[in-house]
Amino acid sequence: MDEIEQTNVEQTTVQNVGYDDVPGMVLTDTNTISDIIKKTKIQDVLNWGRKNSLWFMVNAMGCCGVELLSTGMAHYDTDRFGIIPRNSPRHADVMIISGYVTKKYLPALKRIWDQMPAPKWVICYGDCAISGGPFYESYSTFQNVDEIFPVDVFIPGCPPRCEALIQGFVELQKKIEAKKDRGTDY
Amino acid sequence: MNAKSIIASLTSKFPEEVYDADIESDIRTVAKVKPDNVVDVCRYLKEDLSFGHLCCESAVDYPGRNEIEVVYIIGSYEHPVILTMKAILPRENPVIESVVPVYWNANWYERETYELFGVKYLNHPDLKPLVLPIEMLGEWPLRKDYQGFPNKTAKNLV
Repeated sequence: MDEIEQTNVEQTTVQNVGYDDVPGMVLTDTNTISDIIKKTKIQDVLNWGRKNSLWFMVNAMGCCGVELLSTGMAHYDTDRFGIIPRNSPRHADVMIISGYVTKKYLPALKRIWDQMPAPKWVICYGDCAISGGPFYESYSTFQNVDEIFPVDVFIPGCPPRCEALIQGFVELQKKIEAKKDRGTDY
Repeated sequence: MNAKSIIASLTSKFPEEVYDADIESDIRTVAKVKPDNVVDVCRYLKEDLSFGHLCCESAVDYPGRNEIEVVYIIGSYEHPVILTMKAILPRENPVIESVVPVYWNANWYERETYELFGVKYLNHPDLKPLVLPIEMLGEWPLRKDYQGFPNKTAKNLV
């Protein structure tokens, strides 16, 4: 008679991830995987993909927004860098603060930022977004936007040219490639 | 009608309510009105003197005189005369009747004057702040004794 071998499988402790209805299965959460990936070369490949598909959100907040719109048009052809304007924050990777942030607009901007899926980056475009510009020291302008959002690139100018915005994107690509960007925790 | 006949008609119709009426030039006239009668005067201006266009409505703060002047600038399509009408209110409790029943476009002007100066308009259909956030209601930023300007909390300088 054949004896069925009884093997003792060591029961490892099951990590509690919130649901217990899968017995005997070792589950992990996505944070663990991504933390492991960040230490390997896979992150370089991921960053290469991310830096070549920086889709920015069309959120024209002031007169710099006109330059922002024309940057996404056919004349400058930002598709060659993988920079495509998107109309929904759920499709976008880069939020461009392109104007003064008033105290009334700040909650809406925070809501847009929360709607964007990670990884995501912020570019401050124009003097108004950096310091308030002509509305510096105004009663209704929110100062120090970089304390609220993790701003990677500041582009000064009133307004900056479209080429300056493209250069800002290129600088952001360099930061992502060097893993120095503030959008991801390394 | 020219400026002189308009002022004469206005002062003869409202001898008590309209005072300090003056003719600055052929096209500019000024008058001051008692705050309680501003709707009657505006209705007379619109229906009888054909002043059908309220160009602007705002306020001026005078802390020295302890007064707030509400300014109505009313134009006409019939004759080339613009009337600048002022109503003087006390600074502690500025309350005036709304002119929205006469000039419908005064709605947003009065909301903005309310959020910036704190002038309360009675019988306004929807008196709430126009562009300022609701948290800033009560600060009255365009009054001369407002403390929030200049806002020195900024760190970045370009």
